Amino acid sequence: MTDAIPVLRATGIEKSFGGRKVLKGIDLDAAKGEVISILGGSGSGKSTFLRCLNLLEMPDVGEISIAGTPAPLVRDRHGALRVSDARALGSMRARTAMVFQGFNLWSHMRVIDNVIAAPVHVHGMAREEAVERAHALLERVGMGGFAQHWPRQLSGGQQQRVAIARALATDPELMLFDEPTSALDPERVREVLDLMRSLAAEGRTMLVVTHEMAFARDVSTRVVHVREGRIESMGPPAQMFGPDASPAFRAFLSA
Amino acid sequence: MGGAAMNADVTFLADTALAIVRAVPVTLGLFVASAIGASLLGGGLVAALTAGLAPVRGIARGWIFLFRGTPLLLQIFMVYYGLAALGPVRQGPFWPAFRDPLFCAGLAMTCCCSAYIAEVLRGALAAIPAGQIEAALACGMGRVTRLRLIVLPQMLRLALPAYGNELVMMVKSTSLASTITVLDVTGVAQQVIAHSYRTLDVFCLAAGVYLGLTGALTALLRWAERRLDPTVSDGAGEGASR
Ligand SMILES: Nc1ncnc2c1ncn2[C@@H]1O[C@H](COP(=O)(O)OP(=O)(O)O)[C@@H](O)[C@H]1O
Ligand SMILES: [Mg+2]
Repeated sequence: MTDAIPVLRATGIEKSFGGRKVLKGIDLDAAKGEVISILGGSGSGKSTFLRCLNLLEMPDVGEISIAGTPAPLVRDRHGALRVSDARALGSMRARTAMVFQGFNLWSHMRVIDNVIAAPVHVHGMAREEAVERAHALLERVGMGGFAQHWPRQLSGGQQQRVAIARALATDPELMLFDEPTSALDPERVREVLDLMRSLAAEGRTMLVVTHEMAFARDVSTRVVHVREGRIESMGPPAQMFGPDASPAFRAFLSA
Repeated sequence: MGGAAMNADVTFLADTALAIVRAVPVTLGLFVASAIGASLLGGGLVAALTAGLAPVRGIARGWIFLFRGTPLLLQIFMVYYGLAALGPVRQGPFWPAFRDPLFCAGLAMTCCCSAYIAEVLRGALAAIPAGQIEAALACGMGRVTRLRLIVLPQMLRLALPAYGNELVMMVKSTSLASTITVLDVTGVAQQVIAHSYRTLDVFCLAAGVYLGLTGALTALLRWAERRLDPTVSDGAGEGASR
């Protein structure tokens, strides 16, 4: 029954910044192969939630497990969560991947070195194998001719496709996307969305914070509406974009 | 008129130039030794500034405050004349070093410039885009890997222009060693002037030597900058693809 273990299980995630509660208890499971679109207004806590899942942000309260392995968190004597085992944290992060709004390619490395960095230096893959795989991945994201380029020589859309190749290089069990197309010129959005569609089609488990309604409606298996730090409503796109959607979500859509 | 005078002039200038060039190893040695010392110490100071222990950070901050806040000339005097006045130093095992003016100048320059270099490195560290660190964290890189693969190379690139500037300043600061009897380029020039009572042409020769040194250093730094990132000067384009 290993299929029954969700790739992601997040329970009761709470997070405050300077006394202001940004996440007020979020529960979310993702089964293998699910593509979950996270929608919501600006400042509703979408990024914070996503960043809690790989502990770029430390939640105040909550539990996270990736494919059944709980995040290495313990409570200190003040009741705050902290990392109990840096090595376990590293391997948890190594099993997930994140694609950022601002791409965040390492600017001092050529494209190829960006893609092989994690396989070689985190997963201990042999360099030749990593390079070979990286070339195949770059080919796949349509960046085959750019292995020796520097990030700053690429357009935003090209950088984001390299960033996706970098994320794929470790064959992650869960991919987190935080507004991957929001920093792109309108004419570049499609090349990235098309790539993400193909990832969804091959059964990748993805959490995607996005404002691309067509993507949410056509590609995702589930749509989650986050409002003021809570999941206000969620469901399959047919329901969320249909007449039975919650009033709050309909208001968000028409805003 | 002045055939003979002209000849004497040429001979004087040639002799002076030779004497000054002979002093280049002293200037260069002082620069290289204190540049290496100051860079290592500066790196240590940055490590201390980012340390978890508050006292360690405090010591590093105090060091920078002290050595950046007082004139280098004064520091050189304090090491050479000041320490020599202390009994324990005179009787201690390091007295042979502390009575050597070249050593004292190098020590003062190392301490002083380490403070500036620490500030340069700290600025570079702070300028590393946070997103690139997050990308390293997100893919599971540990502390050491992050430091080696992302933080240090980025810091080096970001620091290089200001660090290079600091090194050029250091080349020129070595001339202060002449005030404590070191016969470096400036020291030798002053010696010649004391005997010949000619100032301008002698100083010009010395200045020419410093220009040669700083010019070579600047070229070296530019080369290093380009090597670290070929797109810096090539501009964007297909140039970097092989
Ligand atoms: N590091 C931080 N420090 C302080 N406040 C933060 C921080 N990160 C996010 N916030 C605040 O938390 C709220 C939710 O932010 P975010 O998760 O980025 O929203 P979203 O991604 O939905 O637009 C915002 O009000 C934001 O200002
Ligand atoms: Mg956001």
